[in-house]
Amino acid sequence: MTQKKQRLISRRDLIKAGALAAGVGPAIIIPGRARAAKKTLKILQWVHFVPPYDEWFNKKYTKEWGDKNDTEVTVDNIGIAGISARAASEVSAQKGHDLFLFNWPPPTYEEQVVDMKDVYEEVQRKHGKPIDLGVKSTYNPKTKKYFGFSPSFTPDPVNYRQDLFSAVGMPNGPASWDDVRAGGKKIKQQFNNPVGVGLAQEIDTAMAMRTIMYSFGASEQDANGNLILNSKETLEAVKFVKALYQETMTPEVFSWDASSNNRAMIAGQISVALNAISITRTAEKENPEMSKKIQLTKALRGPVRAIGLEHVMDVYVIWKFAENIEGAKKFLIDYTTNFRQAFVAGEFYDFPCFPRTVPDLKTLIAKDPKAHPADKYKVLEDVLEWATNVGYPGYSNAAIDEIFNTWVLNVMFAKAASGAATPEEAIKEADVACKRVFAKWKAKGLV
Amino acid sequence: MEAVKGEARVLLGAPATRFSYIRDREEWLGPLMLGPAILYIVLVVGFPFFLALYYSVSDITLGSRSLGFVGLKNFTGVIGTTKFQTALKNTFVFAILSQLLVLVLGNVLALALQKDFRGKWLVRLLILLPWVAPISLGTIGWLWIVDSIYSVINWTLRAVGIFGPTFWPIWLGVPHLAMGTVIAVHVWRLLPLATVILLAGLSSIPKDIHDAAQVDGASFWRHYFQVTLPLLLPVAVVALLFGLVFAFTDMTVIYVLTRGGPYDTTQVLASLAFFTGVAGGDLAEGAAISLFLFPLLLAAAIGFLRIARRSEVV
Repeated sequence: MTQKKQRLISRRDLIKAGALAAGVGPAIIIPGRARAAKKTLKILQWVHFVPPYDEWFNKKYTKEWGDKNDTEVTVDNIGIAGISARAASEVSAQKGHDLFLFNWPPPTYEEQVVDMKDVYEEVQRKHGKPIDLGVKSTYNPKTKKYFGFSPSFTPDPVNYRQDLFSAVGMPNGPASWDDVRAGGKKIKQQFNNPVGVGLAQEIDTAMAMRTIMYSFGASEQDANGNLILNSKETLEAVKFVKALYQETMTPEVFSWDASSNNRAMIAGQISVALNAISITRTAEKENPEMSKKIQLTKALRGPVRAIGLEHVMDVYVIWKFAENIEGAKKFLIDYTTNFRQAFVAGEFYDFPCFPRTVPDLKTLIAKDPKAHPADKYKVLEDVLEWATNVGYPGYSNAAIDEIFNTWVLNVMFAKAASGAATPEEAIKEADVACKRVFAKWKAKGLV
Repeated sequence: MEAVKGEARVLLGAPATRFSYIRDREEWLGPLMLGPAILYIVLVVGFPFFLALYYSVSDITLGSRSLGFVGLKNFTGVIGTTKFQTALKNTFVFAILSQLLVLVLGNVLALALQKDFRGKWLVRLLILLPWVAPISLGTIGWLWIVDSIYSVINWTLRAVGIFGPTFWPIWLGVPHLAMGTVIAVHVWRLLPLATVILLAGLSSIPKDIHDAAQVDGASFWRHYFQVTLPLLLPVAVVALLFGLVFAFTDMTVIYVLTRGGPYDTTQVLASLAFFTGVAGGDLAEGAAISLFLFPLLLAAAIGFLRIARRSEVV
């Protein structure tokens, strides 16, 4: 009897112990396994130009958000030059991050990403309408899909040397492109400081050339997405750049990369550059004396309008193959809601696409303790009104993206400026290239 | 007999296992040893190559997973473009000039390193360094050396009085200087490999042939062109083949230094393929551009290897 009882208890105990070990055991024995059940959110974004932003985002904001939402958030930062290749490899492998930040509109990935309409609707419900620039950089009117979500963008103001422009009778800097040409010519003659508008195969040139084109009334496409590059307005813009180069610049602008104008400006070598506020922020840290000489001004007036471009367009996408799509959407909504923190952490580098998320923006930028004078960045207070998207007056579609990334317009302007081709020849060559690109993407149904 | 074999195995310290059967038979051991290498080539070279071949006749983009067959449309479409024709011309200029320089300089270095002198090991180490260092890292160093503002070359030559106060060449901003610079950096990169290959070739020439030429009173040039070079030819052809394939297919130097600029004057097919396929999103056209020279390179490789085989001294 004793033996039987012992055997029964023993069997039951064994089964119970087995079940317990199988069910609860791993959580006790390997605590990490229990934590693994927690949701995860993987984010990939660039190494920000302003390092304190990454400090705040990686170590503070995402940690706090993760704790509140019971999610393990991991952030991977890579250099901006590696974004394209990384995105391509994630799509190819159909595996990667839940949230992927492009620094430009990525319409070619439309088929691979989830529609962000609900994210826009939710953020709009909370914070009001986004600016036109944000929508035109993330929406495809042809397919009626939001291929990305843009919480912010970086303005592209004019950086100029106040001391040099004062010496040639323009103490407030240039107000128009004609001022840049006339003032730049005098400065080069008197002080040997050329104008620093790039003519190379890099992003700053791409932005600057479009800024000139748009202010001259030219553009790659019209509001409906029809190619209109070959126009008399484009010809005027190209002729202007040719004259600007010949009168105010040197061949070094043909060799520049995206950081060359920063270095040249801080080294005191050039009189004007179009760039984000990274020039002035770097100068404040590395060369405070030069920082006092570099001032900012709004978009320059051309024959048709005063308009500027975004310098960096922050566009988050969520891959269809992402493991935590809902978490990624919630993160975006919350991040945009808290964008004021990002604005301050990034030292005003990124401006909101939803203006109401930073209600005291004007006050903040009007009094910056690091700036000299303290209201240096005040010129950006109405940037939401004069900054526009690549592809203006239309949307940033796949054709515009390929034209931008294969530097078609950069080469067009550079060839004409250097004399390698006449303005007419350069435009014709670019127009042929653009026609091919537009036809290709139209055939794919994305334009 | 079996007992003897077993005893021998024990004596040799190799236990008799089933693997011994394979180990002792060349028809099994050979393929087994080659297996990993073949697997590596298939996975790392073969698979991407056939994938690129497939992409080049499709309409794939970066953002689409579906592949529609379009035949040779990508090839015919791109051939007529100015960008492609410029890149094709630049590719030949870049590859041929850089390989001519690599061959000449590699020969000079190999001949010099064949002699015994003090510090030879240090010279060999220094020559090998560019090959050992990651190419992108080395090229970034060059980017600073030829930078338009901080060029070390310009500052030094100005400091020693060779450049006047107003002379400041923009190495990457003027088309012929930019092409010259990317060729120079590419030569710097490939020279160690060519030198090592040629040095191995020189070392394999029997010394008595050199002695005989010396006894016959052959001058340096006659000795070199009529004795050394013909014997070196099989190895030199292999070095040239490696160099040409590298020059025709690599884009690192150009991508880091010029990104094809100024205004496409240093754009080569490899970099154009990258910008079109990865940056521009048209993966199919990018693949077509990258494969354009494949038939030519294949024919060249077969031709070079035949020359090398024929000129081998038996």
